[in-house]
Amino acid sequence: GQKTPRVYSVELNGAKDIEKTDKGDGKEKYRGLQRNCLEPRKHHHKEELKKELDLDDHKLSNKELEDKYCSNILMGLSSTQAAELLARDGPNALSPPKETPEIIKFLKQMVGGFSILLWVGAILCWIAFGIQYSNDKSSSLDNVYLGTVLALVVILTGIFAYYQEAKSTNIMASFSKMIPQQALVIRDSEKKIIPAEQLVVGDIVEIKGGDQIPADIRLLSSQGCKVDNSSLTGESEPQPRSCEFTHDNPLETKNIGFYSTTCLEVSTPPVGTATGMVINTGDRTIIGQIAALASGVGNEKTPIATEIEHFVHIVAGVAVSIGVLFFIIAVSMKYRVLDSIIFLIGIIVANVPEGLLATVTVTLSLTAKRMAKKNCLVKNLEAVETLGSTSIICSDKTGTLTQNRMTVAHLWFDSQIFMADTSEDHSKQTFDQSSGTWASLSKIITLCNRAEFRPGQESVPIMKRVVVGDASETALLKFSEVVLGDVMEIRKRNRKVAEIPFNSTNKFQLSIHETDDPSDKRFLLVMKGAPEKVLEKCSTIMLNGREQPLDESIAKAFHTAYMELGGLGERVLGFCHLYLPADEFPETYSFDVDAMNFPTSNLCFVGLLSMIDPPRSTVPDAVTKCRSAGIKVIMVTGDHPITAKAIAKSVGIISANSETVEDIAKRLNIAVEQVNKRDAKAAVVTGMELKDMSAEQLDEVLTSYQEIVFARTSPQQKLIIVEGCQRQDAVVAVTGDGVNDSPALKKADIGIAMGIAGSDAAKNAADMVLLDDNFASIVTGVEEGRLIFDNLKKTIAYTLTKNIAELCPFLIYIIVGVPLPIGTITILFIDLGTDIVPSIALAYEKAESDIMNRKPRHKKQDRLVNKPLALYSYLHIGLMQSLGAFLVYFTVYAQEGFRPSTLMNLRVEWEQDSVNDLEDSYGQEWTRYQRKYLEWTGYTAFFVGIMVQQIADLIIRKTRRNSIFQQGLFRNKVIWVGIASQIIIALILSCGLGSITALNFTMLRPQYWFVAVPHAILIWVYDEMRKLFIRLYPGSWWDKNMYY
Amino acid sequence: MVTQKEKKSCGQVVEEWKEFVWNPRTHQFMGRTGTSWAFILLFYFVFYGFLTAMFTLTMWVMLQTVSDHTPKYQDRLATPGLMIRPKTENLDVIVNVSDTESWDQHVQKLNKFLEPYNDSIQAQKNDVCRPGRYYEQPDNGVLNYPKRACQFNRTQLGDCSGIRDPTHYGYSTGQPCVFIKMNRVINFYAGANQSMNVTCVGKRDEDAENLGSFVMFPANGNIDLMYFPYYGKKFHVNYTQPLVAVKFLNVTPNVEVNVECRINAANIATDDERDKFAGRVAFKLRINKT
Repeated sequence: GQKTPRVYSVELNGAKDIEKTDKGDGKEKYRGLQRNCLEPRKHHHKEELKKELDLDDHKLSNKELEDKYCSNILMGLSSTQAAELLARDGPNALSPPKETPEIIKFLKQMVGGFSILLWVGAILCWIAFGIQYSNDKSSSLDNVYLGTVLALVVILTGIFAYYQEAKSTNIMASFSKMIPQQALVIRDSEKKIIPAEQLVVGDIVEIKGGDQIPADIRLLSSQGCKVDNSSLTGESEPQPRSCEFTHDNPLETKNIGFYSTTCLEVSTPPVGTATGMVINTGDRTIIGQIAALASGVGNEKTPIATEIEHFVHIVAGVAVSIGVLFFIIAVSMKYRVLDSIIFLIGIIVANVPEGLLATVTVTLSLTAKRMAKKNCLVKNLEAVETLGSTSIICSDKTGTLTQNRMTVAHLWFDSQIFMADTSEDHSKQTFDQSSGTWASLSKIITLCNRAEFRPGQESVPIMKRVVVGDASETALLKFSEVVLGDVMEIRKRNRKVAEIPFNSTNKFQLSIHETDDPSDKRFLLVMKGAPEKVLEKCSTIMLNGREQPLDESIAKAFHTAYMELGGLGERVLGFCHLYLPADEFPETYSFDVDAMNFPTSNLCFVGLLSMIDPPRSTVPDAVTKCRSAGIKVIMVTGDHPITAKAIAKSVGIISANSETVEDIAKRLNIAVEQVNKRDAKAAVVTGMELKDMSAEQLDEVLTSYQEIVFARTSPQQKLIIVEGCQRQDAVVAVTGDGVNDSPALKKADIGIAMGIAGSDAAKNAADMVLLDDNFASIVTGVEEGRLIFDNLKKTIAYTLTKNIAELCPFLIYIIVGVPLPIGTITILFIDLGTDIVPSIALAYEKAESDIMNRKPRHKKQDRLVNKPLALYSYLHIGLMQSLGAFLVYFTVYAQEGFRPSTLMNLRVEWEQDSVNDLEDSYGQEWTRYQRKYLEWTGYTAFFVGIMVQQIADLIIRKTRRNSIFQQGLFRNKVIWVGIASQIIIALILSCGLGSITALNFTMLRPQYWFVAVPHAILIWVYDEMRKLFIRLYPGSWWDKNMYY
Repeated sequence: MVTQKEKKSCGQVVEEWKEFVWNPRTHQFMGRTGTSWAFILLFYFVFYGFLTAMFTLTMWVMLQTVSDHTPKYQDRLATPGLMIRPKTENLDVIVNVSDTESWDQHVQKLNKFLEPYNDSIQAQKNDVCRPGRYYEQPDNGVLNYPKRACQFNRTQLGDCSGIRDPTHYGYSTGQPCVFIKMNRVINFYAGANQSMNVTCVGKRDEDAENLGSFVMFPANGNIDLMYFPYYGKKFHVNYTQPLVAVKFLNVTPNVEVNVECRINAANIATDDERDKFAGRVAFKLRINKT
């Protein structure tokens, strides 16, 4: 679009200039966003911008709001009002990206690829008929038929391709409609559940924890409400929301909730909901405005589209040049111009693989289906292959590489670090649980926790249960449930008598419980919090179940452990407890959390526990695979560099033995500046550093480091990183889920959106959706993509081969003057009949070797159709096929009475309608019709000759390097279906349809089906030899010229 | 983005082509070095040599399956076709009586066509056979060839024989002779042992009117069985196929007349819809008189 260049210039310049507008530090993280979404508008629509910045709903009081939107906080809008507003503003939904009109899509299929050539052929046919007809009114309709057939071929293949494309688009459409969003709204003073689409400005909506916010809302009442704004700003920390106006910036103030962000929790026990008034709907929401931006970013042409275009150019070039060459030859051989035109048509039809583009579409959609089964939903068919040529993956961390949930990773007690199981289904924890300290620690973990399972989930595995509570408490709850069993029961037995919830000033959480030991009347005080804060409050520490004074050495051990766990990027919590003496705190004692009438110091430190969002268990393997496949995996995350690096290390994005500059500095104990940058293989670049980098510096980082992690980046910087990668000629895959990712997803060669966590805007911008959000699925996608590229090569090689066998007859016919060996219609029956299923069958071929062990193909060097492929198909196998087919043709003629020597230069007499006594080699005389019938038998013979050799061609195309016997002749069953289809179609044509003269097929004697078999075997043997030499002498002259 | 694609200037393209044709740095001509070209040419020489040999061999093997004397299959020739002489471009015999040149070419063709039928030649080369029965010359285990052919003397064509004929087969007088011949088919026993003849009619009613009367030579348009079977060019060296001449006596002048002649024989169907020349022949006759 028109806006596109502006977006880029803003983005690139924006990286350099220091913003003037942003003053408050709170605004910092929105900087990228504002620059991108608001500034372009500044130039275009000043009015609109003003209105946007004037968004002052957060400053207004409830009363003013009511007035502004003519609403009532208690009663809501009336239905009629709502209907009027809905009519005025339209539905509350993001308008889908502008779709190409269906008719344009359809017409594109009609003129794309080879269609133009075929149209030319059809029109030439009609012109030829016109000339014939004006000369002789009784001229045959053959050319009209042929022209019509050609036009039909174009239209039918066009319709087919269009249908295929529409089908894959529909998969996506049905997918995005799977989850209709509902909203609880107050209208006519009643609570109603309506589809979120029908919300209008002024509606009063209620939101529960876990809901998606259905529009931009101004909060009216809420308590302890937290939202996840990550899809908007990239902040992964939950953001508190309340009713107070806290900031001038509407993006920063706490009383605005944004469309499509998630409300994590609302903790007001009596109501359990937050209420808000809708202030913006649909495209006018902040998210809507960003989403609109993404549609302005141009889509890159997919690599496979480039390849197919390249291939079409080659074939069309060959067709046109041979056609024109022979037109000139024919004219100079004194053929009539009209005849020469008809030759030209024949040559074009013979040269164009009519069925191939449809086959490619089918092949791609088959792979798309296969990938969908493996959780990669492909929106754009061509993207199937893009993934295979990917050389850089810019991956998100949260959710893609990690499980997207906090999980207990390490424990420290008894001066020892224990490791907890962090795999997805961690059913059992294997660390030593015999120590008395563990008994105490587990009690604290269980009791000092406010998170609870939602009821009614007894049958759900613990790790999958829904929990009400924040991420760390959830982690602790699940951990203790796994280790100890029924937590709720334990809490019930240890009744809570008082509680101080966590807050950011005291940084701890405390609760006091009765104990479940009936003989022990003491209260138990448990506390958890930031380790250093907790330790401050302790005077003793529990070691092996016994309390010991907290001395210097133990404190040191604590610090070492704390630093070590922190260095792993884990969130560390400290736990301590105290049994309150029964004499001071009798059973009847009333605890007052405000007065703090209980001790909060001299407690007993029990242990540390660290949590992390652990990597998915399949990811390290997948990253290794990527690496061996030559794909660079770059992590781009908004998270803290330490956490990012720790995760990168644990999944292998930074491999075990590689160091960053900082690591080397630390190891050698020198300043960072002194380190030779070449020694470092890995780099962790933060968003702040990235901001100060020029494009050249970024390029240098991207080329000089093998392992890169970008941390603390805004989603906007993703776009810069993607562009940087693309400058290295890399094919870049980008994963993303947030709305802010959508420009980067669009810009990437292949954008991969997360199916579960992803926002609709991201899914719209992406080419592919990962249904399980799992990075490992990308790797299977890469594998499929590479396989399809190889297999497409085979398909094209297979299809191109017989073009020569179809072309040679015309050339021989023109030059030597034999009766036409194969008719144009018959050629179409090969291209669109016998050859279709086999060429699709090649898509099912298994990989020849480990395709994940080679480098990704180079966009500009490893072409789909390269010189060896074209030469080998055209000049080797194609030529052999022609000879075989000619053998069948000559056999039929010779056995019917026309020996090859008689056939030479027979054309003129042969085709003359008035010659009804043409003498054959034996002195017999033939009428025109008898000759015509023989000619059709010749067509059928030539057709069968090609078909038989195409079977051999199909078998040799199964592999490009390996022997057929290594690959296994029967592993791909579909190939045999293809061969059967070839034979059956040929049989039907020659037997069943023999009576329809328009099709020009006749019954063929059974033995003629086998005449070409020796040539077919020769093709096989020759190709086996080719492969053998390629395997024996890799890199040799033979390899270079014969391997395609 | 598309616009960012580097566009090559015309000069660069020419330069690239030059470098492709001859690259002085790598000594590559058209993308290959001398050795590479030598290799590739040698390869194709050997490869195509082999293919030619292979094709020649298979063709030779195939030709072993066909005999020199009779074709392997004759299924397409179950019904012999009929043809006329003089042979013209569109099977139309147009005679401008006053314009000698218009028919002289027909006469020349007929003279040439009928030459082998001269009585002297026939007597010299061919046998006098017994009419009314097939002249069979079976091989009986040993090849019996060349086979003898039966005489068909030019004089049998009567007024259409063109011997000492001042009217040039009637063309100069507007009473042209058209010769009907049946296509040769090897080992075909035409007539299935019954006599057969050729008849001609106007195609439509008005054609019949315009056609007028005609005479046929031999009488009734008979074709004798003794000229069958035909044993093929190699065996039946001097075979002259039987003819039927039709002399049209009073064709309505200046009108195009569609004539159809067919053979009446027990084993020759003349109603094949697709093959308009199976056992019949249709031609146009036009006599232009001033």
